[in-house]
Amino acid sequence: MLYALMGLGLSLITGILNIPNFAHGALFAVGAYLLVTTVNAIGNFWLALVLAPIGVALLGLAIEYAGIRRLYAAGHDYQLLFTFGLALIISEGIIIIWGPVGFSYLPPPFLRGGVDLGFTFYPKYRLFVMVVAGLLVLATWLFLEKTRYGAIMRAGIENKEMVSLLGIDIHRLFTVAFALGAYLAGIAGALTAPIRGINPNMGVDMLGVAFVVVALGGLGNLLGAIAAGLLIGVAQAIVAAYWTEASTAAIFAVMAAVLLVRPQGLFGIR
Amino acid sequence: MRHPIVLVLAAVAVLPFVVRPVLATEIWIFAIFGLGLNLLLGYTGLLSFGQSTFFGSAAYVAGWLLKHYAINAFFALAIGVAVGAASAALVGYLCVQRSGLYFIMLTFALNQLFYFVAYQWTSVTGGEDGMPGIPRPAFLGIDFTDPLNYYAFIALLFLASLWVMKRIVESPLGKILQAIRENEVRAEAVGYSVPRFKLLAFVIGGAFSGLAGVLYAMLFGIVPLEAISFVFSGNVVFATLIGGSGSLYGPIIGSIVFIWLSESVSVIWARWPLLLGVAFVIVVLFFRGGVVEAWSRFWSWQSSRQRT
Repeated sequence: MLYALMGLGLSLITGILNIPNFAHGALFAVGAYLLVTTVNAIGNFWLALVLAPIGVALLGLAIEYAGIRRLYAAGHDYQLLFTFGLALIISEGIIIIWGPVGFSYLPPPFLRGGVDLGFTFYPKYRLFVMVVAGLLVLATWLFLEKTRYGAIMRAGIENKEMVSLLGIDIHRLFTVAFALGAYLAGIAGALTAPIRGINPNMGVDMLGVAFVVVALGGLGNLLGAIAAGLLIGVAQAIVAAYWTEASTAAIFAVMAAVLLVRPQGLFGIR
Repeated sequence: MRHPIVLVLAAVAVLPFVVRPVLATEIWIFAIFGLGLNLLLGYTGLLSFGQSTFFGSAAYVAGWLLKHYAINAFFALAIGVAVGAASAALVGYLCVQRSGLYFIMLTFALNQLFYFVAYQWTSVTGGEDGMPGIPRPAFLGIDFTDPLNYYAFIALLFLASLWVMKRIVESPLGKILQAIRENEVRAEAVGYSVPRFKLLAFVIGGAFSGLAGVLYAMLFGIVPLEAISFVFSGNVVFATLIGGSGSLYGPIIGSIVFIWLSESVSVIWARWPLLLGVAFVIVVLFFRGGVVEAWSRFWSWQSSRQRT
């Protein structure tokens, strides 16, 4: 579910802005670090879970406004270089601020321990993450499908010129989409922190996963992102149970296998 | 600049006396790597963000054979080229079926696949510690442990690579690739199988990367995990772009600037990738087109000034 969330945010950004966002993983990592810092500062997990992703969204806003906005006319190579440069700056910044060594972080006390589901024993916090991530995906879906601005956003994925011809401020749409994508990356990072701990490499590891989700699910394809996120999440869990070392490589192997059979991705038409 | 090759030859002759021979050697190795990428990026219009897959795979395989079976240098180079081309064929086959953003993301994702295999397969690759202890065998009785001898060897290989690449881009094949870059639909309509030619470009680029990978392993005696990581892929893209991807000589200039700068800065500050990131951002925002274009703009400005 976290993979779906991560892929969804990237899918929005790449789909609407048509840029390869190599800084997406870095935004994810910032979300995790901000959560831990905020919790340590104010001692309230809930408030931190709200604030940290908003901080990431603001960062995304600033990045779009100061840099990416100028690059829509440039080629993918320069956009890539720019976001890759940003990713380097952010991840080195994390090392400078928080140190190169990762640390583990426990979920808040009321979410520790497990729940007896009858057939298996499951950690409470993971259930919580699944519910929150599910709700967020649902909320994003409702926003895109049922609200006016969501419809404009979907129209932006289909045909940008047409949308701006209809008198809609396409630049503001881009900014909102980038901030929303950054928000989703940030909250995915914040939710991940108590499960896997945090370290400076977490962003890059997640970036590859997000790309896989988008490559399989399709750009701007919500359903595709969810399906692809679930597919590789399950595949990874199954492989991890039998051959732990190969679990990360399994994500990419699954992608390669799917693309061999369906080069256009799960639901792709291109 | 009518004869850039003269400048290249001069640079080859002068460089080992300006900077340390090891650094000079690294520059030409990186330039071979960049030449391979530029065939994709500059001539075919394919932005591959996974070139270190081929570089690293070749370095690991040839390094392993050098270390455990003491194969000779010539054989190691052949193996490297073959592994680079084969891995590029594998990755390329999956990637060329998609275009645009998908293509970029796929090259990156498959790069990550190879990276994680190298990371986890510690019994062979050494994981994070890298694969040390790779010898630099003598070739035709020449002792390559002497840095200048090895430099001369690399410089010759680099010039040979440049010559081969020049022949490729000026051949009918090169023209077809450029046609694909300019207008893919049209190239297809004229009757060329676009995916097949893209794959071919990928394999040739992979062969150059593989050659560079083996030379790199022999230069430092170790294959670090970074050699197969996305950072390396990003570096070669950056070096090619700052040099100017539209020109045959762009990646060469880019390698000189990039390797020399990163070497000088990395000894000063351990967090130098931060500065690298800043450099990326500045170049993209203010100096798009690279050194070659800035240079030619400077020259046309000069000549127009002389005319008036």
